This record gives sequence, structure tokens and C-alpha cells, in this order.
Amino acid sequence: MTAAGVHRASSGAAPVRTRALPARGVTRMAWLYLISRRIPAALGLLIGVAAVLWASLYWRWNIVGGAAAQAVIPLTLEAAAAAVIAVTTYGPFGETERATGRWLPYLRLSMAVVLTAAAVGALAAAAAGGQLPGGTLAMLRNVAGLTGTGLLTSVAFGGAFGWAGPLAYLLITEGALAGTWTTPWMWPTRPPHDLGGALCAALVFAAGAAASTVRGSRDHAVRLTRSRVHRS
Amino acid sequence: MTAARLLRIELRRNAMPWILPLIAALFWFDSYRPSTTQSAFWVLRTFWNMGQGHTIIDFGPFVAGVAAWMGSRDGRRGMGDLVAGTPRSRWAAQLATWGATAIWAAAAYLAFVGVMFAVYARQGLAGSPPWWWVAVGATAVTAFSAAGFAGGVFFPSRFAAALAAFGGFLAMVLSSQTGFGHTSGWALILPTNSNGNFQPDSGILYPYLPDLPIARIIFFAGLAVAAVAVLGLPARAGGPWLRRAAAVVALAGAAAAGTAVWLAGTARLGPHGLVIPALHDAASDQLTPYTPVCRPDTGVPVCLSPAYRRYLPELATALRPVLAEVAGLRGAPSSVAQTAATYSPGEVALGQGMTISGRPPVLGVPLGALNLPGAFGSTTAELTGQLQLLAVHVIAGAGSGAGTPAQQAVQAALLAGAGTPFAAQPGALTNYGLPSWAQADLGALTEGHQSRRGPGAVAGPVFAAAQRLAALPAAARHDWLAVHLPALRAGHLSLAQLP
Repeated sequence: MTAAGVHRASSGAAPVRTRALPARGVTRMAWLYLISRRIPAALGLLIGVAAVLWASLYWRWNIVGGAAAQAVIPLTLEAAAAAVIAVTTYGPFGETERATGRWLPYLRLSMAVVLTAAAVGALAAAAAGGQLPGGTLAMLRNVAGLTGTGLLTSVAFGGAFGWAGPLAYLLITEGALAGTWTTPWMWPTRPPHDLGGALCAALVFAAGAAASTVRGSRDHAVRLTRSRVHRS
Repeated sequence: MTAARLLRIELRRNAMPWILPLIAALFWFDSYRPSTTQSAFWVLRTFWNMGQGHTIIDFGPFVAGVAAWMGSRDGRRGMGDLVAGTPRSRWAAQLATWGATAIWAAAAYLAFVGVMFAVYARQGLAGSPPWWWVAVGATAVTAFSAAGFAGGVFFPSRFAAALAAFGGFLAMVLSSQTGFGHTSGWALILPTNSNGNFQPDSGILYPYLPDLPIARIIFFAGLAVAAVAVLGLPARAGGPWLRRAAAVVALAGAAAAGTAVWLAGTARLGPHGLVIPALHDAASDQLTPYTPVCRPDTGVPVCLSPAYRRYLPELATALRPVLAEVAGLRGAPSSVAQTAATYSPGEVALGQGMTISGRPPVLGVPLGALNLPGAFGSTTAELTGQLQLLAVHVIAGAGSGAGTPAQQAVQAALLAGAGTPFAAQPGALTNYGLPSWAQADLGALTEGHQSRRGPGAVAGPVFAAAQRLAALPAAARHDWLAVHLPALRAGHLSLAQLP
């Protein structure tokens, strides 16, 4: 038996409400989304990362070497903030949520932007602990770009592994900082006012946000199901 | 359900294989690729990835992240009560999950390093691979998996993996920072610390000393055991006996790690690396026997270890004009042989001079301690300049010090006779990797004139005396040296006594 050809609700069925959600409904939906994505915990972690940055700047946990080497610890913490944002895209509901929530793309985009702004704000406040290499402008660029890599990773491999993208990028950047790479795609190696680096970082963030908005993070359950189907 | 079956299920359902392609790409990029710029010796090619622990940096954080994800599995899914009712204790089940995770991680580490070493072997590297450091890396990766897994069990959150991964990376970054600055003491236990424990001629003229790697293996194994044993402490982990056993194992692991840190603190620098008295085997101090390869066609036979065969022409060509100037003189070398480089406290074994010893006198060249072409951007011309300078310095009798003004003047004159004009000598004295006396000799030859742009021009009494000696015909200079070389080498000659 299929539902093909059925266009009208049977008599007695409750009417489907299709009009716009009232303000209370929107608030409740947004709150449920926040909870399902563990946004409050993510905000707490972003504050924690900012606190570690503050401590590293205040007590000067510098890496031995030149200016590039001294940027490694702040960059690690910026990547950690980006990883936290990427992991928030993990959703436990999968197909059910996608089938019923037409507001989902807007919520995904809003959360990505709001959390990135929160991370930048928290890290900028932490920069008061000392001298942040490259200043706030470089930090803004780095966080945005790294968040983009995290969002792209979560789209490709699932939100649970969204942290792997920023960490991999960090490892590559570490090598680039030690060497003589100058490509703008390695934006942390470029000066704070460098346009090429800023454009590349912005582009990666836009790509990550767009992909995450449209597709969402890859569903782990779907992936497992597919792999089992292939096996059988 | 048998433990083996449980382990097999966990191996099949483990998340670690998913991350291995990414680690493989990073391993190639960060561990293998930078090493290819070094000279073709195992100890130099593996300095970056094994000596400075980059293979662990590439593996550890990812392994910790995935292990945390596996450890937090039951907690994230709210299955704590459900699995607590199974026949096996919770701790045993967790050990199976961690065991599968650690097996994947350690096996992948060994496989990736094995492939890298196979590529090196095909490139015909001289010396032998640093196997002890491979064991350190595999144990460190296992420790990362244990620490990450324990973190995931106790903090079952979707953020556990990210926190474990970045926590691991930050720990490695701080380990690098601490390691670079410490040449002795407890910080030698850090896997990124290459000070005094990964230099030529290890694996070439003498074996790698296993003392420090053994201490590091004990340290990481202790940490891994402690982290896994802590999982057996909570009430839900099992019965009272099991929990007591877990407590004992945790304490034993912590004690092992602490002992390893103490052992590292007792290390002292020997000629072949760091020696930990409690772990040292005297058999490791033996030089590796070899049949030297020689160039007898240069007048004075020049012999090297077969591992350095490719540098024989450069060495013979560089030393020929210097040896020709003193040929037949009493105390002048009648042959050239390679000596083993001795370890320095820092990261590289540089700043070692040549020696003249034995009867008949043999010029000893610590080729492994020189900046060989290809290493750190060095060129063949720089090696030639370095060899000639070190040779004339020891022939003039200056030994390991700056020498007397007369010895400095003869050194400059011999160097000019060998083909390095006076004007180029200040530059030659500032080459990277020379012994500390080079700075004092530079000061004597330029009367201390030096600016930010580089050393000043040659001037002063040492230069004037050297110029006079160099201006003599070669035969007259040789005759003068035949008479005065013993007194010069004994330091009894003054600047005024030079012709």
C-alpha cells in the first residue's frame, strides 16, 4: 500500500496549520534548536577557550622562535574555537528533522554566524591579557577562515568530526609558519592587513556557511545505513 | 561472549579508520616532506619526524579526539544503565573498546612509519634507522588514545572529541616550547625534545643510545596504564575487588611515569648521546666497525667511513692544497681519517674541530659534525672553506682554542696559500657551525671591526704578519715552516718572529 495519489486529508483529520509561526513559536523553535545543538555548552566552551588565550597571553606561553612561531598558541586556540562551532552542527535527529523543519537552513546559518561572532568577541576580550600576535584583525580573519574549514568538514564528514578540519589546517599552517609559504590560502601566515589572506578566509567562511546552511552536517546514521546497504 | 569476540566487534565498529586517510595525508605533508631536504643519512632524514617528534604531533591529537569519541559513546547515547546490566563488568567492556581504538591507532602509526622508512631505504640512506624512536612513537600514540578515551568516558559530550584533540595538540605545542629550551633535566622526557639525543654519527659510526627512548617508553606506557586503570575506579565499573585492582594498576602506572621522569632527570651527556646511568648498557658505547674507503691518489691518503663515501672527493680536493703546504714537515699529518662526531648539548652536533694524533700523525676529521652540503642550506663551497679552515687551525697548533697571534697569522697565511684570499677569510670565519674559536680568530684578523652588515675588512698586526708570510715564495715558506713549525705548534713563537 502506498500513499501515492492521496492529495486531500481524510474527513476528521486535524487541519494542517500552514500560516507563519507566531513569535512565541519562533522563539520556542529557536530554543529547541539551540538545545539540540548544545549551543549553551558551546558558548561555555568558547568562554573557556578565551580564558586559556588570556592566560597564555598574560603568562607569555611563547614558543621559542620568531614572530611566526609565537603565533602558534593563539592560532591553536582560535582553531579550537572554530572546532567547537563546527561540532555544534551535529544533529541527532537526521531525516526526521530535515523532513519537518523548513526553518532549519535559517537556523543553521544564524547559529553559525552568531557563534562565530561570539567566538571573535570572546577571543578579542581575552586579548586584553597581553599582546595578541597580529592583533584583533588577524584573529577575526583566522577565526572566520578556520570556522569555514570546520563547517565544510562537518558537511563532508559529519558534525561529530567537524573538529578534524580546523586541526588539520592548523597542522598544515604550523609547517607553513616554519617554512616560507606565502599563498593567501595559508592566511595565518599573512600580515593582518593583507587583502589576499582576508579574501581567502572570507571565501572559505562563506563556502562553509553556505554548504552548512543548504546541506547541514552529514548525518552519521545515514552514512552508516548506506555503508550497510552497500555491504549487503 | 568471549573477550576476543568483543574486541573483534569493537575493531569492526571503531571510528578510528575513518580518520586514518586524513592522518595519512598530514603525515606525508608534515613528517615526510620536510625531511627530504636533508642529506641522505638516516639520522638526518629522521631528525624532524622522529627526533623532534613530528610523527607524534601528526598522530596524537587526532587519535586522542577519536578515542574520546569512542569513550563517550555510551554516555552520549544515555546507555549507561543499559550496559551496566550486562554480564561483563563495565571496565572490561571499556577496555575492549579502548583496546580496539589503540590497536587501530598504533597499527596505523607503525604502518605509516614503515612505509616512510621503506621509501627512505629505497633512497639508499646511509646508517641505520632509529628503531627505538619508532617504539617511543607507537607508545606515545597509545598513551594519547588512553588519555582521550578516559576523557570521553568521564565527560560524555559531543564536544569531548574536539576538546581531547585540541588539548592533545596544545600539550604537544607546549612540549615543543619547553623542550627547545631544556638541554637537561626532567624536560628530556618530552617526546619533542631533541636536545642531545639525535645527532650524527648515531646509527653510522656508533649505535643510537637507547637510554632516553627507554625512559620515554616507560613514561608513556605508565601514562596509558594509569589513564585506562582510572576507568575502573567508579562504582559502576565493577565489583570491589575489580575496583581495588584498578586502583593498584592506576598507582603503578603513575609510579612508572614518575620514575621515568626521574630517570630522565639523571641523564648526562656522553660522547654518543644522553646516558641514563640506571638504564645504560656499556655495550652501546662501542664504535661500529667498518672498512674505510680511501683516496690514495692525493699524496696523503684520505680515508672515510663507507657511509660518507660520497663526500670523499670533496674532502680530498679541499685538503689537498693545505696538506701540500706542510708535506714532509715534522708533526704534519701523513694521512687523513674520519673521527666520530661527539654529541653537543643542543640540537645539532656542530662546532667540533679536527685533531692530529698518533705516530705517524693522522689528521682526524669529524665529518659528521660539519655542515654537509644539503643540510640546512649548506653548499659544497662552504664545506670546502670549513674543511680548510679547520685543517690549518689544527696544523698551526691552535688546538681547541683561538691560538696565539703567531698561530693565527700562520693559519691565515696557510689559508691564503690554499686558495682563500685574505679578503674572503672574515666571511669564511663566520660560516655556520664552526667552533667558538672562529669568533676570536675573526676578531684578531679584523682588529675587532664588525658591523650588523657583517665582519669588517682584514687589518692589524696579525693580518700584516700573515701577509708577509704569504708573500714568501712557496719553497721559502715551506723552509721557514720546517724550522719553526714545532715551536709554533708549542705556542713558543711570537708575532715578531714571523718572517
